[in-house]
Amino acid sequence: MNDMSLVEREVTQDDIKITARDVQVYYGDKHAIKDVNVDILDKTVTAFIGPSGCGKSTFLRCINRMNDTIDIARIEGKIALDGEDIYDKRVDPVQLRAKVGMVFQKPNPFPKSIYDNVAYGPRIHGLARNRADLDEIVEKSLRGSALWNEVKDRLHEPGTGLSGGQQQRLCIARAVATAPEVLLMDEPCSALDPIATSQVEELIDQLREDFSVVIVTHSMQQAARVSQKTAFFHLGNLVEYGDTDDIFTRPQDPRTESYISGRIG
Amino acid sequence: MTDATDMTPMSAPAARHTSGSLLTASARTKRRNAAETRFKAYGIAAIAIAVLALMFLLYSIVRDGASAFQQTYVSLPVTISAEVVDPKGNRDPAEMAKVISMSYGKVLDDSLKAWIAAENIQIPDLSEADIKSFFSNEAQARLREMVLADPSIIGETLDMTALTSSRVDGMFKGRVTEASAALDAKTSVAQYQLAQAMKDKGALVTKFNTAFITKPDASDNRAEAAGIGVAILGSFYMMLIVLVLALPIGVAASIYLEEFAPKNRFTDVIEVNIANLAAVPSIVFGILGLAAFINFVGLPRSTPIVGGLVLTLMTLPTIIISTRAALKSVPPSIRDAALGVGASKMQTVFHHVLPLAMPGILTGTIIGLAQALGETAPLLLIGMVAFVTTYPSAPPEGFFDPASALPVQVYNWTQRADPAFFERASGAIIVLLVFLLCMNLLAIFLRRKFERRW
Repeated sequence: MNDMSLVEREVTQDDIKITARDVQVYYGDKHAIKDVNVDILDKTVTAFIGPSGCGKSTFLRCINRMNDTIDIARIEGKIALDGEDIYDKRVDPVQLRAKVGMVFQKPNPFPKSIYDNVAYGPRIHGLARNRADLDEIVEKSLRGSALWNEVKDRLHEPGTGLSGGQQQRLCIARAVATAPEVLLMDEPCSALDPIATSQVEELIDQLREDFSVVIVTHSMQQAARVSQKTAFFHLGNLVEYGDTDDIFTRPQDPRTESYISGRIG
Repeated sequence: MTDATDMTPMSAPAARHTSGSLLTASARTKRRNAAETRFKAYGIAAIAIAVLALMFLLYSIVRDGASAFQQTYVSLPVTISAEVVDPKGNRDPAEMAKVISMSYGKVLDDSLKAWIAAENIQIPDLSEADIKSFFSNEAQARLREMVLADPSIIGETLDMTALTSSRVDGMFKGRVTEASAALDAKTSVAQYQLAQAMKDKGALVTKFNTAFITKPDASDNRAEAAGIGVAILGSFYMMLIVLVLALPIGVAASIYLEEFAPKNRFTDVIEVNIANLAAVPSIVFGILGLAAFINFVGLPRSTPIVGGLVLTLMTLPTIIISTRAALKSVPPSIRDAALGVGASKMQTVFHHVLPLAMPGILTGTIIGLAQALGETAPLLLIGMVAFVTTYPSAPPEGFFDPASALPVQVYNWTQRADPAFFERASGAIIVLLVFLLCMNLLAIFLRRKFERRW
């Protein structure tokens, strides 16, 4: 992983993709996210780190409105994608989620064939005019998630038959296939072994060329390896947000410093 | 250093749970093992009791009912005498139709007497009544139908099989013995001896009783002719109605409640009530059906449509509860995955959740149907206990024709006097159990077929 050292990967982008202003999230009476303000850049990997229960996953799920499916969750404040408020009444969450893809903690392929897993998104969004188009999208997505060579001969076998790391890359391919602009990843490597983890991390670095990637991770090493920007959450607050390089070497806030040096969390 | 500090409390005997050799079990361990052994013994005893009860049930039903699938027939040359069947001698169908079934008894009786004379059988006390009651009334009716259908057989002598009366039939099923025949007003020792003699000469044959499965019910004094044909058809029609109504309504209600409905007090009340409905005694549904479908809507009584509607109401809670359980058991990660790629809620449900819940839904539905198939009480209240001897016509008109149902037919027969009906009731239970077994096998098959791993 020496090719992924911090020095080589400074931020080259400054187009803002997602803007969050004064975001509050309540689960029933619990105030889970407090006053979060953050600007997430395009074509950049942004890592959310912090101890368990700090709200980083909750905030991630706000970005594609997955929290809508939780009855007791209530969101205040403003989150804008390319300047458009995603919590506006006119926004259909289904359309939003086509633009903001998501990869989950546990690999969750559909119990269908590898091909159908990847083709599902394009099918329901009508992205392919014919079978050949769809084949092309599937191949491109699987190549994009570095899985093509492993599965090209068994596209019609069940996706659940793959190994954990392959399943997770299949889930990434599935998310990529709908041509999103933002890719959210909720601890995508927490269920994977170190080899599969490094494959997925490499992939994340490639994905940066096409997407704005937001990744929640428990592992500070992972954040340091894959991200250009890092946000540190603690007890529902966004404590510090900046270049990964700065967060890990020159943290401004004492809480960040304690966390990355292993004293809290 | 750490080793040394750890060693200090370890060496204090009071703090240790195990002392002594590992090779001898401590008293505490022995007690725990004994408790476990006792518990296993209770479990095995419970299973043994259940299996024994089931075996006894099956044994007693098969013992009483297996003979319903056999029936004794007289096999004789029958001379169809023209004086009896066509007294005017003009072969006019209208005239011949005036001769009632009862008169055809003379044709059979005369043939039997002729056979006895030809075989030179001597039975001292054999009376006219013994000959007359040897045949079933059903045999006369069949003969009449034959003659009217084909008058050219008049005057001929044909080899025929004719149904015997239930008493004669019983002589070959252990139901009627020589001793019991002596005390029975409907048979006699002479008739018993005649039957044995005919059996020896091959004039009585025992055949598989297809009529039992295909023919309708018969009146009290023709037990030997009673069948479950109408009951099977009626039950089948009702199951069709239940399946067509309860499956879509139940599945739609469950999907809405489980996936779409907001969780609030109102849906909580609905949920509790559905659970309660499943526990409502079935006879209450019968009263509801009587009040709602027959008295209010005005549907005809004793019909599969009303029975089917009542059983649908009864089956719905079962289907809803099992469908909701099946939907709940689909892992939420599948829903997240589908929503995450931008599927709408409905696409998520129909493309991913429903296929995974399918085995559970089908199993629940078939269990519900099986329950409905065996249900008697509500059908009694809507008049399906009526005596029906005509088949309902083909659906959909047939849904509005009177019919019987298998469990009701069983109930009905156990009320009647002739012991032959008891045998038939047990036979009908066997048929019912076979249907239930088939449905359960179908449920297992479907579950295997649709089961997927995730």
